[in-house]
Amino acid sequence: MNVAAFNSANLNSGQKVAVKYFAVAMILFLAQCLFGLLAGLQFIMPDFLYNILDFNVNRMVHINAMVVWMLYGFIGSVYWLVEEESGTELVGAKLANLNFWILTIAVAIVVVVYLFVQTGPGTKETLWLINEGREYIEAPRWADIGIVVCVLIFFYNVAATFMKGKWSGISGVLVLDLVALAGLYLAGMFYTTNISVDQYWWWWVIHLWVEATWEVLVGCIMAWGLMKTLGARRKIVTTWLYIEVALMFGSGILGLGHHYFWIGTPEYWLSIGGFFSALEPIPLVAMVVHAVYDSGRHNFRNSNHPALAWLIAHAFGNFFGAGVWGFMHTLPQINLYTHGTQWSASHGHLAFFGAYATIIIAMIYIAVQKWRGDVWMSADLPDNGWKWKWSLGLLNLGVVGMTVALLISGYEQSFVERALGGSTWAAYFSAQATPWFMQGMHWRMLFGVMTMIGVVLLLWDLVTIGKGETRPAIDPTIAAATA
Amino acid sequence: MADTPWWASEDVWRKWAIWVTAIMAVVLIFLTFDSVATITAGSKRVPGYDVINKRIYYTYNAERNMQEPVIGGDAPLFGKALSPQEAEDLVTLGKLTVQAKNCMNCHTLLGNGAYYAPDLTKAWLDPAWGAESVREQLMVSFLMDPTANARTYGTGRRMPQLGITEDEARGVVAFLKWMSSIDTNGFPKGFTPIRQEDAS
Amino acid sequence: MIDPVATQHIMAAAIAGALIILFGAVYALLFALSRLQQRPGLMLWAYTAYAILIGAVWVLSTTLNLTGFWQVIAAVMVIGYFVAPRLIWHLCAGTHVSEAHTG
Repeated sequence: MNVAAFNSANLNSGQKVAVKYFAVAMILFLAQCLFGLLAGLQFIMPDFLYNILDFNVNRMVHINAMVVWMLYGFIGSVYWLVEEESGTELVGAKLANLNFWILTIAVAIVVVVYLFVQTGPGTKETLWLINEGREYIEAPRWADIGIVVCVLIFFYNVAATFMKGKWSGISGVLVLDLVALAGLYLAGMFYTTNISVDQYWWWWVIHLWVEATWEVLVGCIMAWGLMKTLGARRKIVTTWLYIEVALMFGSGILGLGHHYFWIGTPEYWLSIGGFFSALEPIPLVAMVVHAVYDSGRHNFRNSNHPALAWLIAHAFGNFFGAGVWGFMHTLPQINLYTHGTQWSASHGHLAFFGAYATIIIAMIYIAVQKWRGDVWMSADLPDNGWKWKWSLGLLNLGVVGMTVALLISGYEQSFVERALGGSTWAAYFSAQATPWFMQGMHWRMLFGVMTMIGVVLLLWDLVTIGKGETRPAIDPTIAAATA
Repeated sequence: MADTPWWASEDVWRKWAIWVTAIMAVVLIFLTFDSVATITAGSKRVPGYDVINKRIYYTYNAERNMQEPVIGGDAPLFGKALSPQEAEDLVTLGKLTVQAKNCMNCHTLLGNGAYYAPDLTKAWLDPAWGAESVREQLMVSFLMDPTANARTYGTGRRMPQLGITEDEARGVVAFLKWMSSIDTNGFPKGFTPIRQEDAS
Repeated sequence: MIDPVATQHIMAAAIAGALIILFGAVYALLFALSRLQQRPGLMLWAYTAYAILIGAVWVLSTTLNLTGFWQVIAAVMVIGYFVAPRLIWHLCAGTHVSEAHTG
């Protein structure tokens, strides 16, 4: 038998499904970046692919690929840990496999229709079959229903496995969070002519996913990951998961108010949104402090350096992207200038990458390690582990670079378009044409290319790291106990 | 080994997590009932669809410290007063077209969407259309052939050909007119509306 | 009622907002490290970070013309970002007491 080759015999049946989800997630990550580059290029070269693959199509694929790869990453992560956490075998391994293929074929069909049909006549049939035309949840209604069915099957599989085996604090939070996550999606599955009502519920899906249920889901994954890579104690990790849930939902649920400033909703949302936005960074600060406390108390030896590096990138990325970049322009007195400008793009890039891309990548490194037969992934890797280090560096620098470039363009836009220009179309375009704005777009492109190189390197590393490795992994639980 | 103090115990925080989440969810649901009632079409903040029969303009409200929409006298769209049902049908066609053509992945509506093309919240009132009397037709022609009617203001960005029919274009214009009547708490900042030809 | 930021203060307001969160975290981290490593010298730096946070809140509330209810939010930030790191520290210590003291 080949030493340290990918070997499914190393995986339990949940993990066999998980690696499939991870593989598709990474392909979609590549697609996300590719279409991001095309869309970014159109800011610089507006005639590029005009009337062939227009900005709206590229941007839709860019953000949809992101949402879907992150969901794949989450589903994969849950399948990865479900057997170990429940202490029993996945109840429906065949069902999970079938579910994976149905979901993946559906995603492929949606993408093909996005790219080759693009738009349709202004009828409900278009919303059912081609494109729903609502940012982030553009998937046509048939796919919405399919996604809900697939998520329910996934949910059944996970909940039933825990029921057959044993429950834990982590699995309890995880399962309840999945119910909320799936339930919220329903709020985005109806048509209304009233754009204010439309956006009211649209934000239920977007905000309560991204700023509440997704955060708690990665909290569960993080809790499990810390036990796995650092040998952190279950009782403490679970208590902190509850603390995070209390702080995250305590601030995040009504933090929804900061999206209700300008969509027609009543003025009391200005106060509610402002107040809870000021609280929203607290859970992020708490996580960072606890991580530092924990590592200060223990002389951790970790079993997987790339995974730990990405978990650290997650802690900082979440704090800066969601916390600092969010609060910077969230109060209505300033948001009036920045809402709907490149500020949002700046915040979005850093927050999605920092909070979610990072932790999924960490999970995939954990998966790859086991898939190769629990091989060594600490210090002294062959070639000094240059691929994971460079991809980590390029991806983080690339995204931070794009974030800063977009912030400069965003500042220019809010200043020229909103403050000076009176928010008209002429003002919009004059802001878009200023040298400062355009320089931001060029820098974004440069850092976008850097990000792309990072992704390619990451994928290369994921398929090669640990190959032929003969040393076994450090057991972090033993290392932690003897530290 | 010392005991974990009660305020740091797993048990206490499980209860906190449950209670905090439940209370916040209940508050949100309560606020949602109120908000949805406030933004139902036909309310003060979100006028009924037949507002497209009226003139829409903005005045400054010193008490609120913001521009707010005012519904003026008759100004039927395309010269024909519509019944409430006809108006709703037309705006619905427009909204469906806006979704079907994926407008939101270039433009923003109420500030949400993409940032490649201008915000559409008050597109109906934008000075770019020149004069009130000609804008309806200009908008329809533009939507039906954006390449030929492109005005890029030096950015080179043109709207793509989306195969919008004349009926759909009229629907979109109706939708945009209706959307411009929504009270958005002064968003976008300092908006300067089109010159009102016979401002009341 | 809100009184939007004046044009010339947009940048100052945004930077102040970022600094509040950033120095809130720096204060929290230094506070925890100072206690954890028993280095009282670090506490001085922790309070310096907190002082910068107060300065940033002041800049934010001036540039954003915060009055009435909005000043309450500013006050909540000043008090909350002082208290929260201490509570977080106590929670860290409290949740870890069951661990064997190995240093």
